[in-house]
Amino acid sequence: MNFEPTDDPTDAILLDALEPGDDELLTLDELAETSNISPVVISMLVREGWIVPHEADGGERFNRADLGAVSAGLRLVEAGLPMAELLDLARRMDDAMDPVAAVAVDVFARFVRDSVEASAATTSEAAATLQRAVDEMLPATAALVGEHFRRLVVKHATARLIEE
Amino acid sequence: MKITTRRLTSPPPLVDHDPPLAWISEDQVLIGFGEALRVSAGFGTDRFERAEDQFASWAGRCDVDDPIEGPGTGPVAFASFTFDSRSPGSVLIVPEVTVGRTDGTWFVTTIGDADPSAYLAPVDRSEPASDRPRFAGASIPDVAWVEAVAEVIDRIKAGEALKVVMARDFALWSRTRFDTRRLLSRLMERFPRCFTFAVDGLIGASPELLVRTDGARVESVALAGTAARSDDPAADELLGAELLRSTKDRFEHRLAASSVERVLASLTTSLTRDPEPTLRKLDNVQHLATSFAGALDTPISALRLAGLLHPTAAVGGDPTEVAIEMIRELEGMDRGRYAGPVGWMDAAGRGEFAIAIRCAEISGARARLFTGAGIMADSLPENELEETRLKLGAMMSALE
Repeated sequence: MNFEPTDDPTDAILLDALEPGDDELLTLDELAETSNISPVVISMLVREGWIVPHEADGGERFNRADLGAVSAGLRLVEAGLPMAELLDLARRMDDAMDPVAAVAVDVFARFVRDSVEASAATTSEAAATLQRAVDEMLPATAALVGEHFRRLVVKHATARLIEE
Repeated sequence: MKITTRRLTSPPPLVDHDPPLAWISEDQVLIGFGEALRVSAGFGTDRFERAEDQFASWAGRCDVDDPIEGPGTGPVAFASFTFDSRSPGSVLIVPEVTVGRTDGTWFVTTIGDADPSAYLAPVDRSEPASDRPRFAGASIPDVAWVEAVAEVIDRIKAGEALKVVMARDFALWSRTRFDTRRLLSRLMERFPRCFTFAVDGLIGASPELLVRTDGARVESVALAGTAARSDDPAADELLGAELLRSTKDRFEHRLAASSVERVLASLTTSLTRDPEPTLRKLDNVQHLATSFAGALDTPISALRLAGLLHPTAAVGGDPTEVAIEMIRELEGMDRGRYAGPVGWMDAAGRGEFAIAIRCAEISGARARLFTGAGIMADSLPENELEETRLKLGAMMSALE
């Protein structure tokens, strides 16, 4: 990994930037109640890696992004997609996207971080610039990937409809 | 009623005439057309005896001309019984025309004035245009099934049971009628070591022999504990070796084998069994298998033996009654004849019954597929869901 803590003070800043924000953190039962998904299914989604609990207050906690992920899954299931097929799609997505994510991180480290550190006058200036970069780039990445996948789905759906 | 069995000099077409009744295994072939007798066996654990009594009574009134007198010649019944004694649908059917092979001899049996000639002639049929199988839903949403499996796991951990088999289903539809002839052909080709069957719309290929008897001896094979297969022989061997060593699979298998042994030990004087599970390799999976054989103390018909052995821990659970109650409470559907005994029996009580797994109930352009998974204390709901997803997907592809 490129972001393992070292003596470099910018590492700590980047790790902070990657942590969830000041969202209200929920226990598993609270997440289940808020999302209207049973704790059994939430636990299953955790084991499947859909959502990754955060350590807080001596236990596992979930943030707004986790709530968004399980709620999105629930909408798909309620619209008719079997949970088993959804889990399979999620595994396939994970397999396909994981290496791309690793490359993206490497690209960030080599072309953004290295460049910022080269041009910043001080370490604290570099850290602040990098934090702003992460704050901008993570949501932009999510939007980009989401839109790209949406276009792929539309492309295949259109082709399927024409074929049939 | 006159029943006549005659030798055939050449093999007849097997499934080309869309047989509503079929039993095809390595040793025995029986294909049936028409209905000379239909017994609706009703409810209760005694439904096997009731059906047998009605068949025996009917056959006893017939005038049988059967120079072969082999297993399956003369009057023969196809039977398919429900998993749960409280479910409707157990049925025994005697066809008007049976073509078959027994001990290497091809024969045809006719009842009354039935004319077998149409079924003995080859048929040149073009493949009808067919649609693909389309998903129409399930008796229980898989999210609810996962929650039910988690509840079963909790109860097993609490000591209520050792194993419970949880099943789920898929309803399918198609824009054309499902082609049962093509399905039977595919099953025969793909699973040559299985028992391919068709009885009153229930069609499948089961690897699991529940019971076979020639009237004097009885055989059964317990299958439980499953691993995938690999196209790479070395990897396939490794998967098999891991299965043989797997503590979880061996424990699950021991439960299934014990449930068979308990029944057969009470009916035989010299029951023998494999000392250790062996590997039974099928087309797409490999199972742990234990074979049993023994001499019956007193003659018991194949159907009655099937009733005594059913349900084994391979499809019900352990302890049986606790597992059945849990299935009734939590599975959220009626299994119908899925996981029940399916097979044939002749008037001498000889016959074979398999456990109706890997099967579909087909009615015109509608079908219902079933599959199940053995739940143990260390099971994870998502793994069981995935296992059943793969099994249902394989069965859907067989219908394409």
